[in-house]
Amino acid sequence: MKALVLLSSLGVISLLAELFSFKKLLYPIVLLGLIATFIFNIQDWNVANNTFYNMLQFDNYAIAFSSVIILVAFLWFLMAEGFFKEETNMTDHYSLVLFALVGAVILVSYTNMTMLFLGIEILSIPMYILVGSSKNDLSSNEASFKYLIMGAFATGFLLFGIALIYGATGSFDLATIKTGISVQGATPTIFYVGMLMMLVGLSFKVSAVPFHFWAPDVYEGAPTVITAFMATIVKLAAFAAFLRLFDVTFFRVSASWMNIVWVLAALTMLVGNITAVFQTRTKRMLAYSSVAHAGYMLMALLAMNMYSNSAILFYGLAYSIGSIATFTIVSIVAEARGDDGIHAFNGLGKSNPLLAVVMSIALLSLAGIPPTAGFFAKYVIFTSSFLAGNVFLVGAAILASLIGVYYYFRLIIAMYFKEGNSEKINVEMNHKLLLIVVAIAIIALGIFPDFVIRLI
Amino acid sequence: MITTYLFYFLSFLAIMFGLMVVLSKNPIHSVLYLVLCFFTIAGHYVLLNAQFLAVVHVIVYSGAIMVLFLFVIMLLNLNKETEPHKSLWLKASAAVASGSLLVVMVASLKGASTIQSTNTFNPSIGLIENLGTTLFKDFLLPFEVSSVLLLAAMVGAVMLGKKSIK
Repeated sequence: MKALVLLSSLGVISLLAELFSFKKLLYPIVLLGLIATFIFNIQDWNVANNTFYNMLQFDNYAIAFSSVIILVAFLWFLMAEGFFKEETNMTDHYSLVLFALVGAVILVSYTNMTMLFLGIEILSIPMYILVGSSKNDLSSNEASFKYLIMGAFATGFLLFGIALIYGATGSFDLATIKTGISVQGATPTIFYVGMLMMLVGLSFKVSAVPFHFWAPDVYEGAPTVITAFMATIVKLAAFAAFLRLFDVTFFRVSASWMNIVWVLAALTMLVGNITAVFQTRTKRMLAYSSVAHAGYMLMALLAMNMYSNSAILFYGLAYSIGSIATFTIVSIVAEARGDDGIHAFNGLGKSNPLLAVVMSIALLSLAGIPPTAGFFAKYVIFTSSFLAGNVFLVGAAILASLIGVYYYFRLIIAMYFKEGNSEKINVEMNHKLLLIVVAIAIIALGIFPDFVIRLI
Repeated sequence: MITTYLFYFLSFLAIMFGLMVVLSKNPIHSVLYLVLCFFTIAGHYVLLNAQFLAVVHVIVYSGAIMVLFLFVIMLLNLNKETEPHKSLWLKASAAVASGSLLVVMVASLKGASTIQSTNTFNPSIGLIENLGTTLFKDFLLPFEVSSVLLLAAMVGAVMLGKKSIK
């Protein structure tokens, strides 16, 4: 609850900055505000507080996820300083990003369908706008429009699903719905249809195949910092919501959705990774890789055992940190070389050793090679899925990971073994610091994964 | 008895106008049919003794949003049949997908008549007093949080609309 209030106030403060002209101070204010939010948020650890007529619950699950989201948001702000330099829309950008964070925090803590819907909308609407925030870029406009239309369509499915479930159980409250469907045979058919429609809506938000068609175009067209935001924070929040709804509330009818999620997970991993192999532009490749990573997280969702929650939390953290690093480097290189094709990375190992080393560490983590965080993230997910008896799915996941290694290594090979532009790229000091911190974090999480895994 | 006949009459009209929205070729006609469809749904609200919701529905949907639709259609000059021709493949796949959805929806009605309502229908539930109590007590947090949503949407609209200072 404190996180929600603090983030909304930060959003309003950044709007007031225009009026009282402290725009120059806004960047440090927002960073300090995020640190304060993080501290106030973890104070509620192990304090069970059920707030506002069962609308939100900040249990350890919600606090762990929201803390990770705030942490990733802090790193994202360090990465995205350039996005907030533009004079005209500076305060709007700050407030929209902070409001999107409010939506993300609601999504990890809701216990009522109305809050789920509001959370998804509060997260989505600023994203639709931020995707189109480079107003003179045609592909950004197209991405924004596409995302808005497809997103509104998916929200329609979600809302229809909520309405049908309300019709079947007479409640929006997750706990009431859970007890309502516990009586065997008493669940009417419209409940299952509602559940499937909610599955469609949420699969769209996490970009699971075959609901992923928007993702590559939107990720490619959006400004790179916004792509990084969508690949990390939006995905993490949507998965936390997905997990709470299906693993907790719809647990007793899991037999009717498990097979569907099984197919979704397998398709997402395979299609995402295989399509990524054929991409020649790094941003589009990372977009498909982001689709593929959603597949691994769906696997943990399907496992439904004691490891699921921590597996998704750890995977989300490892993937987000890796993505922040890769997207930072891609935006630096693309800006300097004027192109984000893979050949733009040729010879980066000689001209900018720091960028190349951090990029390699981040890509190794995304590919799941030890001793990086990505290895343990995949390991925990595979273990939990294996213990749940999904042996074939684990097989498909290993196959998909091997395909993934191929295209991640193509970038590493381009950086170290190909001759290219040897001109040194100038990197700002704060980006250098961010990249070093992120690289250390990836390795530290790979060596001491227990620190996060044992949280929830 | 009269309410039952009214219910079926309004439902028939609502579905028919809904179909006309999709089927009519002229976008202006679609919007006007949508207005009529919203009016019939407002009639349903009145049948449930929810006059306030009925009035709000008419003002917000039939009034504000539909006027906005009409404005956009007129500004974009869409009143002619300018829709590009879709390929046969696309049409076929759309028909299969939406047809399957229709089958699922119809199948879901099987057994719906046996649903035992857990909360008995309270005829005064739609009156303003009860609505206000629910809104400001049980649903206070969603009510407050939706202000963030509206603010974000407003900021976004201004951001997309304003000229750059230079």
